[in-house]
Amino acid sequence: MAERQVAELGAGAACVGWNHCGRRLAAGAVDGFVSVYDSQSQPSPSSKWQAHKHAILNIVWLPPDYGDAIACVCADGTLSLWEEVSEDDQLPTWRKCKVFESGNSHILHVQFGLQLSSLKMVTAYSDGQVKVYELLDSLELDKWQLQAEFQNITDPVSRSGKPACTSASIAWSPRRGESQQASFAIGFNSDSPNFNSCKIWEFEEAHQRWLPLVELGSPQDKGDIVHAVAWAPNIGRPYEIIAVATCKGIAIWHIGLSAESDGSLSTENVAVLSGHDGEVLQLEWDMGGMTLASTGGDGMVKLWQANLNGVWHEQAVLDCNVSH
Amino acid sequence: MPGMLMDGGGAIVPFSGEPGHAVAAAPPVRNIRHGVAPPISRVYVSFSSGNLLQVACLRPPNPEGGGDRGAEEVSGGRVVEVNLGGGGSGPGGADAEEIDEAEMRRIEYGSVPAFALLQSRKNALVDGSGMSRLPSVSEHAEWWQYVLEYSKTIGSLLGNPDSLSAYMIDDPKMILKVKEKPTSLKAAWELLEIFFVDKQLQTWLPERLVDWLADYDSLLTKTENTIYRTLINFQKKLINLQVVEDDPDYWSGLSAALSVGWLDIVVNMLRFHGSYQLDQMDSRETENGLVEAVAVLVSTMPRMRPDLPSGKLGQCCKTRPDFIKALEKWRGQVSKLECSAFWIQCGHQKTRDGLKSLLHIMLGNIKNLTASTSHWLELFASHLLYIRPFTVGFEGMHQLAQKCIQLKPSADNSGLTGLLTGILSENREVVLAECTKNFGPWMVTHAMELLTADNDYADMMLHEERPNFGGISIEELHRLVYAQVLCSHALTWQIAPTYLSSCLNQGLGLLEILLLKQPIQDNRVVLKTLEICRLYELENVSTNIMKIAGIYHWKHGRKGTGVYWFQQANDKVRLDRIAQQLFEHIGKSVTDDSFKQWEGLLELLGSDIGSAGGLEFLHRYRDFKRSLQMAQEGRTGESVRQTVEFLIQLMRNPSTPQRFWLPLLHDSVRLLNCKPCPLLNVAETTLLLNKLQELSLAKLRPDFSNIHLPSHALNSVRLALASNLARAILEEP
Repeated sequence: MAERQVAELGAGAACVGWNHCGRRLAAGAVDGFVSVYDSQSQPSPSSKWQAHKHAILNIVWLPPDYGDAIACVCADGTLSLWEEVSEDDQLPTWRKCKVFESGNSHILHVQFGLQLSSLKMVTAYSDGQVKVYELLDSLELDKWQLQAEFQNITDPVSRSGKPACTSASIAWSPRRGESQQASFAIGFNSDSPNFNSCKIWEFEEAHQRWLPLVELGSPQDKGDIVHAVAWAPNIGRPYEIIAVATCKGIAIWHIGLSAESDGSLSTENVAVLSGHDGEVLQLEWDMGGMTLASTGGDGMVKLWQANLNGVWHEQAVLDCNVSH
Repeated sequence: MPGMLMDGGGAIVPFSGEPGHAVAAAPPVRNIRHGVAPPISRVYVSFSSGNLLQVACLRPPNPEGGGDRGAEEVSGGRVVEVNLGGGGSGPGGADAEEIDEAEMRRIEYGSVPAFALLQSRKNALVDGSGMSRLPSVSEHAEWWQYVLEYSKTIGSLLGNPDSLSAYMIDDPKMILKVKEKPTSLKAAWELLEIFFVDKQLQTWLPERLVDWLADYDSLLTKTENTIYRTLINFQKKLINLQVVEDDPDYWSGLSAALSVGWLDIVVNMLRFHGSYQLDQMDSRETENGLVEAVAVLVSTMPRMRPDLPSGKLGQCCKTRPDFIKALEKWRGQVSKLECSAFWIQCGHQKTRDGLKSLLHIMLGNIKNLTASTSHWLELFASHLLYIRPFTVGFEGMHQLAQKCIQLKPSADNSGLTGLLTGILSENREVVLAECTKNFGPWMVTHAMELLTADNDYADMMLHEERPNFGGISIEELHRLVYAQVLCSHALTWQIAPTYLSSCLNQGLGLLEILLLKQPIQDNRVVLKTLEICRLYELENVSTNIMKIAGIYHWKHGRKGTGVYWFQQANDKVRLDRIAQQLFEHIGKSVTDDSFKQWEGLLELLGSDIGSAGGLEFLHRYRDFKRSLQMAQEGRTGESVRQTVEFLIQLMRNPSTPQRFWLPLLHDSVRLLNCKPCPLLNVAETTLLLNKLQELSLAKLRPDFSNIHLPSHALNSVRLALASNLARAILEEP
């Protein structure tokens, strides 16, 4: 069976992002234009507009609970939020809701998470700062409040200077029951080893602050550069599965759900997967958390699965380097 | 397809016999045909639904930007969707081409009722036995019959090929007649049913295997020779032959068919012999007599089986003593014919040699059997028929199979032979592995019911909760995998809940994710999704879906639909926010045009939602506006009076926001001015004047929100009220 073409990207396409069900795709270009494609219709874009004057580096869709909206990370370090609106069955247009200026440092990455009835946005900056914003209006995307600001380090006493970060990777814990605490995992690619390792942060409702729960890495690995983080959907397992890609390969972690006697969560590194010739660029879980897809700088897509003995292995390889 | 994912990307590899072997086996590399000219600078992926993976291949951006005209026309990349199931949702591997997508969907849909019924019976059995894991003996004896019924129902979905039998009426030259092309899926299913479910077959298992081989010999191997292929080739040749018995393939075909017990084909082919012709030049009575004698012996061969289907030949023996007695008698007749003196009188050398070869096969000559068969499974069947008809138990059959494999090694081992080997070795893990590798998730999911029909070890092995999988069993794992395959297609995702609901640990979790992944643009999909939520009592999911539908329609201009969905979801946060927005919007610019567009929305919102009675005010305000319009149009006394009453009620009500005071009064100015008699009494007018004064003082405060009314509004209201007051004072007694 041949592959089905979904979209024909325009010239200068630099990044893409899919919405929650994979039916819509947004592509950002080097000239600051954004195109939106609907995978169920024709391969040409249904909308196209200039979101920035500079190249767009990353596009992330907001959860569908807040409409069809995207966040664009721009090369000049700014972040803009756009949403699709229409009036009385007219053709939809994309409206700018909010711009977060870069200030002294650039915004590297952004991810959105749901907690109770509020939408939270985690942004990672090039100076190592992590800022968490909260949406104030459940109907409008233009009112955000800075809720927290911290660094990706577990020991606040040894607060160090500003590192130089080139990229960051954020993964929220997937949607769970209403009573679950909000948490996300974040890792950096910086010149400061303390910032790099993937750490899981959880929001403490009582004190309205974010606390580091777990650091994923052995003592000698904790300074490794993190390229990608992916949190597997939990369909009922007694633990969470998180994949972290570093220079040593892809590490699969099991995180216990309940805290142990000392308040920390149990962690187990169940696999270290290697195989990409070059840097791992992206990690993506399927809907059940059973298959992990990874893309690398070598133009390959690898699929990883665990067998009946719980051993992770390379299940398939998709080669994207050849044109047909 | 060389690049096809042989293991099926979406499936879990269920068996790893040797850890080193698993690690050493490199996965196949599949080239993605995206049509983008190299080089590829970046690849993005996303799972859309189930096993569908979207792959975006991006080219390096042109450094010149948009300046170059040629660069503008070059594509920046392409996004393709890859089905990791290996060619649709059917079985993976090479056999996938056997069944097309539509046929596989028919099978998938048809399997749901039988599967659901069996689960229902299983649950009833567990409940009936007081939550006991092991049912009582009598109940257990009936369970395999339930499974057999389930197996027959599903087997009937997999096609219905006719047996390879001859019909002389149709075509005298026809040896093989196949009504429908057999499929490996049905062949595999029947193998599992024969060996694991049907207890009635235990005493005549060898015969049943011979029947199975008659149906599916053509599927044993794709590249090597089989008896079926031999007969097919001879059949093509038959129409051109003048003297059939002179052709070596004729006798090879006869030996081949006889060796695997295709008696009807053998007798039919024997009747092609030239000695049956009526226009013989010389006397061939002896030759024909010998041929006919062999045909009679073939057609009366003893068979240890309960019955014989119509068209099949042989002598039916229901019990073992009867079979032994009949076999000895029959073998005596064969030996007697073999030693007959009539062979000397047979003038045709090929006929004499060919017929003797058939007799040797019937006597169980291993050299003849080995020479007549092509595949080891055919040799295996011939041994069961002629050499070891009393082979019982899996161990004996397994040893015999191993011996036959050594005699006829096969390089092209198809899924069917691997499956049978696993069955005979009594290794359920191997059986599951073969099903997964060659037949795909549908087979594994539905076949596990057969494996556990009457086997406590298999039941324990398949139902044991394993920490490796997050606390689920192998059975649940395969159902989850199959559900993901069903989720990959818009036409089959709706039957996934049936299988997910039978996964006690992780099924509902995956079902929730599946439902939340459905697109919201299609209203029919939304309604279907909500129906599934109601069916499986997933209130949280349905609430989320309705909220998502509400915000989608709200943002796309269909505010009434949005409010409807928010109300269905009981989303107080957003409904309050909408009421507040409505409040603010009306307060800013109260004109008839802007008010009309909000009136329908106000009607939808109702009175029970809204904080601090704000919405209640809006309803009263709507009533006031309606009455005011009627009063200005019709100028009836009743509507005028009612409008004034509404006005007084609103101004008296503490819940009326202050910013609405002036608009309310300003709306009433024309009404107050046009009447000769006063509409308000002294007390009422004084109340309104006090409100006006209070409003004037409020304008001095810095937080006062300015109302967009003409600057003379305040004065005109004050003048109208003063005029009314004067007339009211004069009229009071």
